[in-house]
Amino acid sequence: MRIPPALRSYTDGQDEVVLEASDVAAMLRALDVNFPGIRDRVVDEAGRRRPYVNVFVNEELIGASLPESKLNPGDVVHILPSVAGG
Amino acid sequence: MARSIKKGSVVVAIGTKKGGFLFHSPDRKKWSVAGPFMEGGSVYHMTLDPRDGRTVYASAPMGSEPWGPAIYRGLAGEEPKATRAAPKFKEGSDLSVSRIWHIEAGPSKAPDTIYAGVEPAALFRSDDRGDTWHDLDALNYHPTRKEWQPGGGGLCLHSVLVDPRNPRHLIVGISAVGAFETRDGGRSWTTENRGVRAEFLPNKYPDWGQCVHKLAWDASGDGSIFQQNHCGTYHRGPDGGAWTEVTKGLPSDFGFPIAAHPTQKHTAFVAPLVGAGNRVFPKGQMAVWKTTNSGKAWRRLTKGLPGPGAYLGVLREGMAVDEADPIGVYVGTNTGQLFASRDEGESWKMISDFLPPIFSVTAGIAQ
Repeated sequence: MRIPPALRSYTDGQDEVVLEASDVAAMLRALDVNFPGIRDRVVDEAGRRRPYVNVFVNEELIGASLPESKLNPGDVVHILPSVAGG
Repeated sequence: MARSIKKGSVVVAIGTKKGGFLFHSPDRKKWSVAGPFMEGGSVYHMTLDPRDGRTVYASAPMGSEPWGPAIYRGLAGEEPKATRAAPKFKEGSDLSVSRIWHIEAGPSKAPDTIYAGVEPAALFRSDDRGDTWHDLDALNYHPTRKEWQPGGGGLCLHSVLVDPRNPRHLIVGISAVGAFETRDGGRSWTTENRGVRAEFLPNKYPDWGQCVHKLAWDASGDGSIFQQNHCGTYHRGPDGGAWTEVTKGLPSDFGFPIAAHPTQKHTAFVAPLVGAGNRVFPKGQMAVWKTTNSGKAWRRLTKGLPGPGAYLGVLREGMAVDEADPIGVYVGTNTGQLFASRDEGESWKMISDFLPPIFSVTAGIAQ
């Protein structure tokens, strides 16, 4: 999982973390075990992805709910703020 | 404490649309500024903890990007850092905190306790300076909640009064739901809106549903409270019960902030605007109004304030007082000017211009 600069305060500055998980939601939970609090920055307490936060698996934007986004060995998950421009 | 802020200085903390600032002065004549902090982020509230005069708390989005709301903490003059966690609702509630409107210091005997008022309206308490948070269930999941309606700024809990005589006694204000009071530390809450108008509802005096804009303790020390509402200005006496409307003598029944004198009883300041449909000062003249008798009479204070031709406004957290003698009064505008009075409102001086729109103003003494 690639960590955006704004969240690296949670990961002691690491920009990449290797995790084992079967889907994106499980990966976020695993990430939070290692770096408490970081999951809350990506999803709210109802488990919904925050507005203007995008999750990509490899280069594909995840549009489905996070638990339905299955992962395969070697996948790279990116968390990025959307451009939110105009 | 950063060396740049001298002990004993008055510190005016400003939350703006683009960062937080600390104005500080040992004599309230010449001001210095530290910041911006949380640069680029919308700082909804920023306050110097009055219990130690050193710690600054602020609320802003995490990292000024879309990572959700955060509480920031740091020593005055230094860049605050996000605490380990922000307030959040219980999983399964289907509620999520979108914005933190207000941070309030807890009782003096519990120096690590702070409260946070959030949107959608709820109250949270931290007993470790903001690193973990407790959800105050009896209020946050109140039986009336499903019918709560937002005000123009959202469904926000913006006022938190902690009784200095009894830390289990709190009063909160929610737009547009009204005032709630607990006397048992938050286990149970009563609606406290008798006598307060709600002109936008079929029943003008409902049990709840009023649009309270800001609450402030009267310095009388007996539990009396001032309220600025969407529909009038009010005072409630020491024994609770119904509010008395004290709008007469003011130019309108609409305004946002209300700041009470910290030591002189029955004394408060308000900043009435034209009305809900035109949130600027009447007749293009910025004015602060002062009462010294619980609102029975009001006096208009304009010396040094802009106008005529000044079409600006003040948001609900936009006014504060310090505890110097005589007290200072501070008003921040939604067009980025900060005005200060060091003679209890009799005369004013602009101490900063061209700030981003000002969301909040608080004042304290650096220790």
